[in-house]
Order: sequence, then C-alpha cells, then structure tokens
Amino acid sequence: MDLLRRFRGGEIDAFETLVRQFQGDIYAWIVRIVRDPGIAEDLTVETLWRIYRARQQFRPDGNFAPWARRIATNLAFDHLRRKRPEPSLPAEPAGPPPPDPLLQRETREKIQQAFRRLPAKLQVAAMLALVEEQPYDEIADALGTSVGAVKLRVFRAVRILRKQLNHLGVRPGVERT
Amino acid sequence: MTELDDRQIREALKQAFPPANAELRRDLWPAVLRKLDAHPSRVPWYDWALIGVSASVFLFFPQLILVFAYHL
Repeated sequence: MDLLRRFRGGEIDAFETLVRQFQGDIYAWIVRIVRDPGIAEDLTVETLWRIYRARQQFRPDGNFAPWARRIATNLAFDHLRRKRPEPSLPAEPAGPPPPDPLLQRETREKIQQAFRRLPAKLQVAAMLALVEEQPYDEIADALGTSVGAVKLRVFRAVRILRKQLNHLGVRPGVERT
Repeated sequence: MTELDDRQIREALKQAFPPANAELRRDLWPAVLRKLDAHPSRVPWYDWALIGVSASVFLFFPQLILVFAYHL
C-alpha cells in the first residue's frame, strides 16, 4: 500500500519497483492480443509510461494490476484499430481439403486474415475469449465494459468469421477427422 | 456445404493462432526511463493560458469569484 502511495506521489523508485513487478504480466497480456513480441514490447513500454503519467488518477487503495491491464488493453486496441486490414481474399470453391501441410498453412493464413479484418473491438474480445480462454469477467474488466457486452462481441465475431470462412471455403478441423 | 459451428470456429482460431510466447525477453525499465526523460510531464500551454485569463478576469471583476464559487 505504501508503495502505491509513493508511486502516486511521483516517486520514481516506487515506480521502478512496480515496473519490475508488473512488466511481465502487462507484456503477457498485450502479446496475447497483438500476437507480435516486438510490438508487444513497444506497447508495454508505452503502457508503463502512460501509467506513470496517469498516476494521479490511481486510487492508492485500489488494485494496481487491473488498472494497468485496462491501460494496456486500450493501447493494444488502438494498435489493432490503426493497423491497416489485410486485402480481402478471393473466394475459392468449397471442397474437401487435401491433407497437405502447405494447404493447411494456407488455411491458417486465411483464417488469420479473416480474423484481422474484424473490427478491433471484436478482435480483442474474440482473441482473449476464444483463443486465450481468459475468463469473461477479466476480459470485461480489462475492456472497461460488462460481461454481457464481451459475450455479445464474441458472438458477433464468431458470426462474421463463420460467414467469411464459409465464403472462402475454409473447413478447419473437418479435414482432420 | 454445412456451416461451421461455434466449436469449429474456436478450433480454427486456435489452429491459426498458436499460443503466444508470453515470456518477456528483457527488462523494459531502461526503455521506460528513456521515454520518461524524453517526454517529461509538464503543464500544457493552454492550461497556463486558462489560468492567466481566469486570474485577469477575477482581478478586474472580483465579484465573479462568488459566482464562480457558487457553481463549483
């Protein structure tokens, strides 16, 4: 508690202690969203810098980790929003996909591209909920929204992806059974 | 063609996005410190301008202090 009060007061030593304590968690959270270690490191530095600048808004009796995670999520979200979406892929006729590793890689790339074309809000929610299997309440807290809103975003993401993948003739998982 | 169900979508995403390596490879404190030095937090010019204008108004029209205090 004393550490957080000192941090709020602008003591750089207290901030350094917090950085060393939480930088790993913040990085891990961001890299789960952006999936790029280099970008995740940059965004972690940016997050920590913003945390220091926003220290007056932090309540010393509050919990530092969720507050930091919310700032990190906002930055990761902004990064995804700024990123240009991939060009759309031409549709392919649907058919039984052969068990060729190259084609499986192509399928993966198509799924990635379809996912990256989703609105950033839906990407963040779907990545954390479906791929990383984070609890919905933690995602909602990090996004500063309700559990219901997160579920709705995931639902919308799945609906759009289903449409796009069907359009592209992607049948993931089916060919392996 | 049958539509993909939710489980298949989830599996597809897991195939497409293998687990990210969440281990931080280096200490980021030096980079944070550099950024803090490069961008010291300071009061923006428009805040100073606002303070100056407010001070001038209150100096010439002191009765407005009461009006201002009432609306606080």
